[in-house]
Amino acid sequence: MKKVIMGNHAVSYGVRASDVKVISAYPITPQTQVVELLSEMCANGELDAKFIAVESEHSALTACVGASAAGSRTFTATSSQGLLLMHEIIHWAVGARLPIVMSNVNRAVGPPWSIWTDQNDSLSQRDTGWLQIYCESNQEVQDTIVQAFKIAETVMLPVMIVLDAFFLSHTFEIVDILEPEAVRPFLPPYRPARKIDTADPHSFGNLAGPGEYFELRYMIEKAMEDSRAVIERTDREFEERFGRGYGIVKPYRCDDADYVLVTSGTVASTTRAVVDAMRAEGIKIGSLKVRVFRPFPFDEVREVLSKAKKVGVIDRNISFGHHGIFYQEVKSALYGRTNVPVTGFITGLGGRDVTPAVIRGIAEKLIAGTNLEPDINWIGVKI
Amino acid sequence: MGEKITFKSYKEMPICAMSGADMTYNLTGSWRNVRPYYDFKVSPCRLGCPAMENIQRYIFLLTQEKYEEAWRELMEANPMPSVTGRVCFHPCMEKCTRKDFDQAINIPAIERSIGDRGLDNPGWMKKAPATKKETVAVVGGGPAGLSAAYYLARRGYPVTIFEADAVLGGTLRWGIPEYRLPNDVLDRVVAQIVGSGPITVKTGAALGRDVDLAKLEKEFAAVFVGVGLSRSRPLGVAGEEGRGIERGLDFLRRVNGGEPVNPGRSVAVVGGGNTAMDVARCARRAGAEVTVVYRRTMNEMPAIKDEIEEAEHEGVRFRFLAAPKSIERGASGPLTVVFQQMKLGDPDESGRRRPVPDGDATFTLSVNTMFTAIGEEADAAPFGKLLECDGNLIATKGEWGETSRKKIFAGGDVATGAASVVEAVAAGRKAAERISRMLSGEPEPAAEETGTISIENINTAYFTKGKRLLVPRIPLDEALAGYREIHTGYDDRMLRREADRCFSCGVCNFCDNCWVFCPDVAVRRLEAEYEFDYDFCKGCLVCVIECPRCAISTREEGK
Repeated sequence: MKKVIMGNHAVSYGVRASDVKVISAYPITPQTQVVELLSEMCANGELDAKFIAVESEHSALTACVGASAAGSRTFTATSSQGLLLMHEIIHWAVGARLPIVMSNVNRAVGPPWSIWTDQNDSLSQRDTGWLQIYCESNQEVQDTIVQAFKIAETVMLPVMIVLDAFFLSHTFEIVDILEPEAVRPFLPPYRPARKIDTADPHSFGNLAGPGEYFELRYMIEKAMEDSRAVIERTDREFEERFGRGYGIVKPYRCDDADYVLVTSGTVASTTRAVVDAMRAEGIKIGSLKVRVFRPFPFDEVREVLSKAKKVGVIDRNISFGHHGIFYQEVKSALYGRTNVPVTGFITGLGGRDVTPAVIRGIAEKLIAGTNLEPDINWIGVKI
Repeated sequence: MGEKITFKSYKEMPICAMSGADMTYNLTGSWRNVRPYYDFKVSPCRLGCPAMENIQRYIFLLTQEKYEEAWRELMEANPMPSVTGRVCFHPCMEKCTRKDFDQAINIPAIERSIGDRGLDNPGWMKKAPATKKETVAVVGGGPAGLSAAYYLARRGYPVTIFEADAVLGGTLRWGIPEYRLPNDVLDRVVAQIVGSGPITVKTGAALGRDVDLAKLEKEFAAVFVGVGLSRSRPLGVAGEEGRGIERGLDFLRRVNGGEPVNPGRSVAVVGGGNTAMDVARCARRAGAEVTVVYRRTMNEMPAIKDEIEEAEHEGVRFRFLAAPKSIERGASGPLTVVFQQMKLGDPDESGRRRPVPDGDATFTLSVNTMFTAIGEEADAAPFGKLLECDGNLIATKGEWGETSRKKIFAGGDVATGAASVVEAVAAGRKAAERISRMLSGEPEPAAEETGTISIENINTAYFTKGKRLLVPRIPLDEALAGYREIHTGYDDRMLRREADRCFSCGVCNFCDNCWVFCPDVAVRRLEAEYEFDYDFCKGCLVCVIECPRCAISTREEGK
């Protein structure tokens, strides 16, 4: 069944389709409708899950940790300040190897107070061990939630699904709604090998000395590396069953492209429109959407970009004292493998609109190569 | 202790840190170096009450809507809450911890509501049967005697009350006007006490006139004397016996007896105690312009502060630092009273500064009537030969009312001098308890626990500031038009609201905070109490901090 729904509700429908058993979340703009609809679904019986209302995001994720450790499929949703308040438990979920799935609506971090989109909230959690997947459409959001549970429960790491504030969270699109019955064969009930069980008591998350901690960390990184194949396989199985696949990255008209713009989130869709327009004028340009940010898709990025003459990376984020974060990651993927020049562009912070004109300006600047800083170019800054 | 597990390879390691077996060999309780324990203190209000009413407990029972239990708790300490709830000087409120937060709980208003509810539910008072053979005589049917009779009768002792007047009540009946304590309330209180057990009442039986103390001592197993103070003190001014001068107590007796009174247009009242206030206010009700003349200042007035305020509110005027010096009267018409101006000198034995004449300064008042209310004294004639006395008062030892004769006990004003209703009630109860122990051979009680708390021990974060709920009252013009009771009392909603303000100082009221906050789930919630599970309590003391009322104490382990 198809419905016209907002991005936030696409998250809720993805959770509904995944037969989640425990949801704990604290409302925060612009994600509130995610849990609003989920609480309604729990209340009216549409979703057979325990909804735990809490007093903060720290508690929300902590409740999820407990529920997941007890063997339940568990979900939470947050944004910006809420995500940052979870930070301690973000690490905990990884160390405890709990396959929690979270949706984070990208919202700029205050102060100044802002509710509009940029990626600094989720990217500030990049080193915690959560898988991160950035979506660009409501359909992708719903489908990725379902995929995320399967991936998480296979590799025993938590997964964060990321969507842009307002440009996606509050934008209505047609979504082919997944029904739980149809999803169940794809995503069977969660049956962990170990869980908190009063009949077989163990202490979890207890002290580990230098003799063991190191190995446990190694196993997390191994799981992260293994997850690339799991993500790919899960996406393929999903596509076979439901007719929609998304890939780890999404290259567009890159095969013969001299210039490639690297993007993520909703900017990826806008960029494809710009690519089409410039291609119509005979400019050999393409775009590469990075969908999975953690684990970083080194091979896929290298394969696409090493054929180009010039690469521009559009970042809706900034690592103060360094450069755009996707720019850093792309450069590190290419380092020592190819000499293709890569230039970074910062734009759209705090929800400033990244229009086709803005992207075309970036493309033209990249192609012309004049007035181009080697690493960091602020697009549209009024100072 | 779990077994040590050796992995053959790291492949066997679990992916997250976990113990190989359960951890019950190492309970979190083993971490503890200090333990919390439930330790209920005595609420400060209780220590402030001469009758040691368990105020916290009956207010707690009210909040549980256990009205009958609240009444029973109150009656354990005071058999006439409907009286004290109206007339007590409520020292409990001075001690109320809430006084240091916003305003003290209106304890007398609550006490009155509970007492009245007990009067409205006669079924609550189940008459105690006579189970003891020893009989006790109670001489005096005022608050001390009624209290002694009640607590003896409740224990099964047959009691005979000897009362000089035709009806019981003593100073409650003759000394307190109806606008503070209506006669019908007093009648119901007396009836409830008399009906509470094997009590016989002999009225018109005055000690020394109709009843002989030595004879009572022979006939009864024990005697309690609570005859109060029967004589008004004279002014010691020439002309005080004669037209236009009346003893304040006599005036009150006539007013309370329903006699019409006409003190004239202009009235002076000499004195600064409760009797002076009552006389002044009754004279106001009889249409007089009233001036209270007191030889010290308002600060030294022995009257209850509320009563002074009420008198002022009703238009009574005050002249301080003045005492009558001479009285001039003609054959008819107003008297001329000359007053000596006074000043405060050195403190006397009461600790108050003694008034001394301020040179030759005088002033005169022209009055139709001057009432004297400078205190009452005991008439020692009926007991002076048999009992050791302290002046005109019966000398007693300790708090139990023992006199120089083993079988005779005394309490109330006749033993203490002019005091309060609640002190008389307390004295009657304590004497009854002592008499009962003497007759039955029960052991002396253990010393009462007096550990208490103050505002520093209250976690005030749990309370919202507010105001004491005043008792509704009738308008001033209606009050002055007669002797209708001024305060109409709380309704159920008001009672509950005021009761809910109580901090429950130092005593658990089952708020669940310890149970909710314990991070180790080491507080067990039982039917009517909590207990610590010391296997798991790791001594973090969150419970101690979060207990709003300091009902949990701590002790170092091993000490």
